[in-house]
Amino acid sequence: MTLLEASAVETIYGPGCPDCLDATGDRAGTNQCPRCGTVVACAEADLDVAEGEVLGIVGESGSGKSSLAEALALERDPEATVNGEVSYAGHDGNLLEVDYQTRHDLRSRDISLVHQHIRDGLDLEFTGGGNVAEKLLSAGWRSYEDVRMRVRELFEETEIPVARMDDPARTYSGGMQRRVQIARALATDPDLIVLDEPTTGLDVSVQARVLDTFRRVQREEGVAAIVVSHDLGVVRLLADRTLVMRHGRIVESGLTDRVMEDPHHEYTQTLINSVI
Amino acid sequence: MGYVAVTAGEEIIERAADLFEKQRLAGDSEGLDVDQLDDQLGRLTAQAMSEGGLYAPRLAALAVKQAQGDTVEAAFLLRAYRSTLERFDETPAVDPGEMIATRRVSPAFKDVPGGQILGATKDYTQRLLDFDLVDGETADPTEEWEVADEGDPERLTTVTELLRSEGLLHEPDEPDVDDPTDTTRESVTHPPDRDAVLQELARGETGAVTALGYSALRGYGQVHPTLAEVRVGRLPVRIEHPYTGDEVTVTHADVTESEAVVPVYEKREDPQFAFGYGLTFGRNERKAIGMTILDASIQLDSDDEPAENAEFVLDTIDGMDSFGFIEHLKLPHYVTFQSILDRIRAIRERKGTAGKGHDDLADEESAERAPVAEANDDG
Amino acid sequence: MAKETTSQHRDESTGGGTPVPTDSVDAALSAVETDGLSGYNYAYLDEHTKREVRRSMLKAVAIPGHQVPYASRPMPLARGWGTGGIQASLSLLGPADTLKVIDQGADESVNAANIRRLAENTAEVATTTDTTKADLIQSRHRIPEEVLTDDQRLVLQVPITDALRKVDPSDAANRRRHAHKNYGKMWVHLYENVVEYGEINIASRYPTMVANRYLMDPSPIPRWDVPKLDDANHLTILAAGREARIYAVPPHTSVEPLAFEDRSFTVERFPEQACHACGSTDTYLVEVSEEPGTTAGDDDTAASFETRYACNDSSFCAKRRENPNLPKDHHLDRSGVDWGPATPDGGENA
Repeated sequence: MTLLEASAVETIYGPGCPDCLDATGDRAGTNQCPRCGTVVACAEADLDVAEGEVLGIVGESGSGKSSLAEALALERDPEATVNGEVSYAGHDGNLLEVDYQTRHDLRSRDISLVHQHIRDGLDLEFTGGGNVAEKLLSAGWRSYEDVRMRVRELFEETEIPVARMDDPARTYSGGMQRRVQIARALATDPDLIVLDEPTTGLDVSVQARVLDTFRRVQREEGVAAIVVSHDLGVVRLLADRTLVMRHGRIVESGLTDRVMEDPHHEYTQTLINSVI
Repeated sequence: MGYVAVTAGEEIIERAADLFEKQRLAGDSEGLDVDQLDDQLGRLTAQAMSEGGLYAPRLAALAVKQAQGDTVEAAFLLRAYRSTLERFDETPAVDPGEMIATRRVSPAFKDVPGGQILGATKDYTQRLLDFDLVDGETADPTEEWEVADEGDPERLTTVTELLRSEGLLHEPDEPDVDDPTDTTRESVTHPPDRDAVLQELARGETGAVTALGYSALRGYGQVHPTLAEVRVGRLPVRIEHPYTGDEVTVTHADVTESEAVVPVYEKREDPQFAFGYGLTFGRNERKAIGMTILDASIQLDSDDEPAENAEFVLDTIDGMDSFGFIEHLKLPHYVTFQSILDRIRAIRERKGTAGKGHDDLADEESAERAPVAEANDDG
Repeated sequence: MAKETTSQHRDESTGGGTPVPTDSVDAALSAVETDGLSGYNYAYLDEHTKREVRRSMLKAVAIPGHQVPYASRPMPLARGWGTGGIQASLSLLGPADTLKVIDQGADESVNAANIRRLAENTAEVATTTDTTKADLIQSRHRIPEEVLTDDQRLVLQVPITDALRKVDPSDAANRRRHAHKNYGKMWVHLYENVVEYGEINIASRYPTMVANRYLMDPSPIPRWDVPKLDDANHLTILAAGREARIYAVPPHTSVEPLAFEDRSFTVERFPEQACHACGSTDTYLVEVSEEPGTTAGDDDTAASFETRYACNDSSFCAKRRENPNLPKDHHLDRSGVDWGPATPDGGENA
């Protein structure tokens, strides 16, 4: 069953003009409108995610993948203008137009974002456990013992040493901090998790273990995910289906295996060849 | 019966105040005249006026006398008095370019229109105690000077105007000249507008303005300005005539002004100097320059350095605020302290119990007497 | 309400303030030099200012627990010494009012005496130390032990206005959190308190939800006094001079200290202690240390001092010394009024 469906999502920075969409994108070879200077971070994006499915978004830096993911994760950049239509099972209306309170509620319970940068996602002065607890407390949990038990459970599930639960998050390794973010994202049993560049700042060996953990938990919990990465390996490992983005547009989409084995778009072919 | 001070509080207060007055009178010297303070300790009264936000030299002299030379206390007296005054009128904004400067130095350029005016300063002398001052006054050293009457002094072109005409200066958000914020009537909320920032800095405590400005130079910030100029002089105070509507000069105020350019490029595609401004009542070059650095720093709007964070600067710069809150610690705190004692005892008791095995839990008394620290000492 | 009306009339009749003599600096100087406060307006502040402070209070009452900025005037008292409280009090007082001022529970404190003297000298009000006889009570960090009624107003002096300051010093960030009712960070603070200490380690300034909407710093009143704000009959105004904010708890508003279902809010307890002067076991007590020798102490560890407990509310203690069984609601026409923490009738049992 479709969990989230997006059509014509666009994020732009600047005044915008009637030429913006025609003058940017894959054909134009740029994401900046030559006429008005507006940056069209992403546009004309249509996608859907089914329950329990993992959708990968791959592209190089500046391709618009993070802007698209942020729009879907209800992240708001005050500098940006976001248009389009995003519908979500269990919510009436366009997710892009909800008020603060609804957005807060959806973010607390239904849709979680794992930020690319640890500092955007965690308060490093709080304990690791406190960071996870915040999600529960913001969602209205009021029993200390219940919060404690759930945090412990999540630490075990994401393979963080429970003994470190009450240490400040700043004393954690990069891999543990990323796991705390994942634990936090999972805390309230959301239906959808958006992972933005989950391997940023991690050693290669740590990357693999964090991704393995996420894949296992994702399957056990049956939670849907949107995984954004510049790294084809990450998307290949996690995603059922993959979108390829360039210059703010989706240039190819399909089952991950198909995209990887039989890329149609020239750009995708280059991407895959450059990895191999 | 020492458990509450049942003696009349008012009498104690009065006696304590009397003792304070007595300190001023205890010596054998003659009482200080307010005029003497106004004439001879101009820097002190200027600081009281500047921090008090009230331009009134004789009242400032009185405040300094009453405060026994404590500048913040003197500024406090002026502010408290000022707040009770009816506001009859508001002056139109004056252009500081109109200043009739008695001193003007421009470190940025060797030659500036109007020239460098050293004026009255001891900047370039050795700081040696002058024991001649112990026994009365020396003669007027300028008595023999031949001063030609050169007519009215000219209005000086400000150095920043030269840079501005070349487009080198980034213009910070212009305060609304017709309706400036008045932070004495409207409390500052964050993030503050620049006119509110400048007002708060202008009334800031001299030591705090100097220290925070210095912090930016000392490495806790990026602003190392070049002073376009520092000027000391008089500005006219005008009001609109109630019947004719013409602007009428009613008096003058002595001020110190400082302008600086900061080589931090505001815009990448069009490099320009950032700009800092300082102005205080009376002669206080140190404070004016400190204010200039802080104005420029705050425009960078960053949380990384204290001087660049408007909230940090404005929260700590005001002498009335810091004076009052620091000194309020002298007030009794026994209610709150009792509450804190309750917490620490409860937690020590809990930790003491936790330090013991389950078998000891029943024996609360022994647990109470065995806090963790003591047990560690035994080991 | 009648008093509010009269003060409004006064505003209109004077056209917003009596001018003080400022014809020249010398005239002002002579006014200051000769006759102290006679050159000042009624209740010290000019009428415009008082009206503005009252407007802020009305807004505060309309949005319980929300911090309303106001233009705090410099007062002849140091900031941090009750300047917010006195501006609130002077804006409310009329000549028919009776004022009580307490500092840390005591009318006799020198700072309370100083504030009271300013109000007496400028607003010509009567003063009292008897809680039940006061129309307006200005207090630093205590709510009296005797039940306040619906015709009384309590002004609490506030040093730090925002409960969230504990978790973030930024006013800009905290204002956003209040706007969004986003108190997750404060809850984590409480959670980590319990993790570290086994219980919530907040002594005074206990974070409190008002009307289930705004998180409020109830000023540094002890936790003992916080429950008195819940569904109270009286109006509480909280005023900060240095931070220039006013907020309020209107009568019959819910006031709920933040706590967990299984780690509840607790008030200070004084097990096995009674006031050594009046014998009370149901009042907030403070420790007093005295030279030894007056009473036989059974605690042999305190070699140089004896610690005894005494009522903090000195005026109620005086009444209890006359009449040890006087209930806290003795002045009301009904008894068993809920006021403050439920206290056992004997510390011996605790």
